[in-house]
Amino acid sequence: MFRRKMRTVLTIVGITVGIFAFTVMGSMALRFNKMIAGGKSFITGQITLMPKGTSFTSMGGAAFLPVDTLQQISKVEGVQAVAAGVELALKEPDPDNPTGEFSFGPPPTIEGMDLNSTYENRNWKTMDMKAGRMLAKGDKDNQVTVGYTIAIDKGLKVGDETEIRGRKFEVIGIIDQTLTGPDQYVFMSLKSARELLVESNPFLKSLKERSDEAAKISDADLAKLPEATRKQVLDARAFKLEDVTQMGAVSWQDGQDPDVVANRIKDQFKDEVIVLSPIKLGETIDKASAIFNAIILGSAVIALIVGGFSIINTMVMSISERKREIGIKKAIGASNRSIAWDYTLEAGAIGILGGLIGMGFGLLAIFFINGQTAKSGAEIFLVTPGFMVGVVVFSLVLGLVAGLLPAVRASKMNAVDAIREL
Amino acid sequence: MNRTLIHTENLHKQYRMSKTNVVHALRGVSLDVQEGDFTAIIGPSGGGKSTLLHILGLLDKPDNGTFILDGIDVMKMKEKEAHLVRAKKLGFIFQGFNLIPTLTALENVMQAGRYGGLNAKARKTRALELLEQVGLHQRGNHKPNELSGGQQQRVAIARALMNKPTIILADEPTGELDSKTSAEIIAMLQQLNKEHNQTFLMVTHNLDVAAMCKKVVKLVDGKNET
Repeated sequence: MFRRKMRTVLTIVGITVGIFAFTVMGSMALRFNKMIAGGKSFITGQITLMPKGTSFTSMGGAAFLPVDTLQQISKVEGVQAVAAGVELALKEPDPDNPTGEFSFGPPPTIEGMDLNSTYENRNWKTMDMKAGRMLAKGDKDNQVTVGYTIAIDKGLKVGDETEIRGRKFEVIGIIDQTLTGPDQYVFMSLKSARELLVESNPFLKSLKERSDEAAKISDADLAKLPEATRKQVLDARAFKLEDVTQMGAVSWQDGQDPDVVANRIKDQFKDEVIVLSPIKLGETIDKASAIFNAIILGSAVIALIVGGFSIINTMVMSISERKREIGIKKAIGASNRSIAWDYTLEAGAIGILGGLIGMGFGLLAIFFINGQTAKSGAEIFLVTPGFMVGVVVFSLVLGLVAGLLPAVRASKMNAVDAIREL
Repeated sequence: MNRTLIHTENLHKQYRMSKTNVVHALRGVSLDVQEGDFTAIIGPSGGGKSTLLHILGLLDKPDNGTFILDGIDVMKMKEKEAHLVRAKKLGFIFQGFNLIPTLTALENVMQAGRYGGLNAKARKTRALELLEQVGLHQRGNHKPNELSGGQQQRVAIARALMNKPTIILADEPTGELDSKTSAEIIAMLQQLNKEHNQTFLMVTHNLDVAAMCKKVVKLVDGKNET
């Protein structure tokens, strides 16, 4: 193997490049898959309700679910509880850069929690906490529990005070890393989230101001106003903060089929809400993760082509130069199988060496980039022990398979012809 | 009477070089080698000596004829069985020494033991014994290019002896050595023949070397010369 050092080194470099790409792309795809799996787990643990006029991908739009409708849905057969939800960006976008920085996964988000509801997500019953506790019924409106990445990004500890959209909040808990949505979430009471949403939205803000003004007018004064004006005041008073609900989450009773419950809600409220069945939503998410699996497969194929052909080339050259050696081995009793095995193992060694170096460089790049992006709270790569073992096994198998054909050719070489190479 | 190790009758071998060019390498060679023999095969170039040696070494197959090797009918033997017979019953010594250049002298000798089914420990012990026997016990860690021609051939002899072969086939073992070293190598082979009753069959051009052998077989145009 090291007789032609330069050629072997170049082959190893070829495999190194392929396996480097495989390691980097693969760990990026793993990270994506982990994030998607977390989202899928959450979304399939509940029946999701969206207001009419929005879609799943435009979550947090300007349409709302009236609180009365949610109350009625909570009485549908099989429904255990309904929770209202409000979601908005943690920070107001920079007017000069409204699209913001590239974000891997969900952007930092405020999640309003319906603490009075007994709703419970089937797959996310509890969250592992890094410190403190999850927001719960009875907590104050100025208390928040923050995700792992948010805590790192803002340097928060339990007991710290943090400012969110101009308001002061006390951090009561930090969620442990989930590598998915909650890492970027700030959980607060529904009331606070609604107020921040209204503050951030000029239309809602004006409705709220008009409602507040209208509320100041006493019923006696209202009666004195002209008919048209009185109607305007009553319309303004109709705005209720509780109606500012962007989505609903329904948990079902034990023993109920979530698809059946979702269909019941759909049948009764199809004019008011969009009902997202957990099973169908899970299937949609599976399709998305298939793309990232294709990334792993694609990078593996590149590694396979680059590495495989360089091993085949090296082994064919090497074997043609070692014809005489093969003849000698046959003359002193080597079987075809042992000759094939020797050369296959040699190719396997080249494969595994290139694989280890490629993976080493890949891991260095990953840790460096993750170290940089971790400061802004979003690690791009996920490396697991299983994946690392997989990369090493892959490079070994690559070497063995690529070496097999030249090795079998070597083993079938006519011993007399080989010896005549003297 | 000594046991017959090789018995051939009317061996034929031809090579088809092209549609019209067929080379008749062997045209009916008959040969008997008994245990303890030291036989030389001589004859002009192209007479079929090397072809016969390759056939006797199971590296090539005759087209027809009879070939019994230590009681085994080689004509009926499958290729899968041939390597084991090669490893256990035959030893080879080549003109160009044919050591594996990347292995040390010790590893070259041990290599034959691997194919003969010896375990690593037994291989090493036997290889060290043999290197001592050929006077190279202190050169075991040297690569072939660090050894003289005579030393390399002695390593090749040790390798040929590794699996205690029934017969050692030697193809011009002194062809690349000076006369003094040639004499030393032949003396070593004779000593092995005499003291260990090791059977040798040697192809040579050198009539002086052939004269030192117990039996001489001459091949001309692929046939025994009577």
